[in-house]
Amino acid sequence: MKRRQKKQVETIIAVADYPQLLPAPRRAQAMRTLRSSETVAKANRVISLKKAELRGAVMEHVDLIDAAARAKDWSLVFDLAHEIRGMAATAGLTATGRIANGLCRYLDALALFGAEPDRSVATLHLDAIVRSARTEDDAVRHGAIVADQLQSLVDRKLGEFKETATS
Amino acid sequence: MSGGAFDYLKALIVEDNQHMRALLRALMNALGIATIYEATNGDDAFVILRDRKPDVILTDLSMKPINGIEFTLQVRNAATSPNPYIPIIMITGHTERHRVEAARDAGVTEFLAKPITAQNLFARIGEIVDHPRPFVKCTDYFGPDRRRHRSDDYAGPFRRRDDFENDVAIA
Repeated sequence: MKRRQKKQVETIIAVADYPQLLPAPRRAQAMRTLRSSETVAKANRVISLKKAELRGAVMEHVDLIDAAARAKDWSLVFDLAHEIRGMAATAGLTATGRIANGLCRYLDALALFGAEPDRSVATLHLDAIVRSARTEDDAVRHGAIVADQLQSLVDRKLGEFKETATS
Repeated sequence: MSGGAFDYLKALIVEDNQHMRALLRALMNALGIATIYEATNGDDAFVILRDRKPDVILTDLSMKPINGIEFTLQVRNAATSPNPYIPIIMITGHTERHRVEAARDAGVTEFLAKPITAQNLFARIGEIVDHPRPFVKCTDYFGPDRRRHRSDDYAGPFRRRDDFENDVAIA
């Protein structure tokens, strides 16, 4: 096969030529540890024990995000929503995490264009974040329906925005 | 856990959220890693990397003043970096495509999306242990090979269309 015009030199450093995380004799043992049901169960217990703490932290952030939105500090709203989505999902607040993720997606897309968010879209998300975090939604999962609907709203608003921006 | 595969390793956790930091520390302990350093931003993490020489890094993406992407770039490319080959697992809730691509292009070894689960975290560590990737050095990138597809019946270095436009050298 003919080579076309040369663009750049790429050097590949083989695996054997740089230090590995574990020496060869320990790798098989490490993989057994990682796949062991005992290790996974131990780690899952750790996560379960941390859930209450994470839920408490989510609630603290929920209070802060409301104040940030009232001050129209959208950068702070994004940062807080980002923290909420990370902690909420790990804490088992699935709907809260999904709704916060939708708000991040909306704010991030508009920020790329330097555009101001639609306040009502943000408010709907914030109300849903607050309510889903404060209700024990895990069993009934009403929050999942709200998250789906808000996701559709974000898709529609971003679609409209892109249409306007390109026309 | 004496005599375990991971017990002599040193991990560095870079995360500004204290709750997530505590969770990651506990998960590393569950794996048998006893020596764990913590930093809340990339600047502090780089100092720990230089002074304590950890073996693996778990970093968040969003931090101030130096975020996980800037930190990774520094680890991979800075002349003062003590270990440009160190495995870096980026743990983040960011799902926006441009951020994920920026992390990959900074030289992250593995990417772990939140929510954190034991299975997912251990799978990423397993990839580092069992399927280490070659490093690639070119004008605009230094880090693990971003072409993840492995073909069992092909051992050559040319694996993508524009390899035929580039010069590839094996170090």
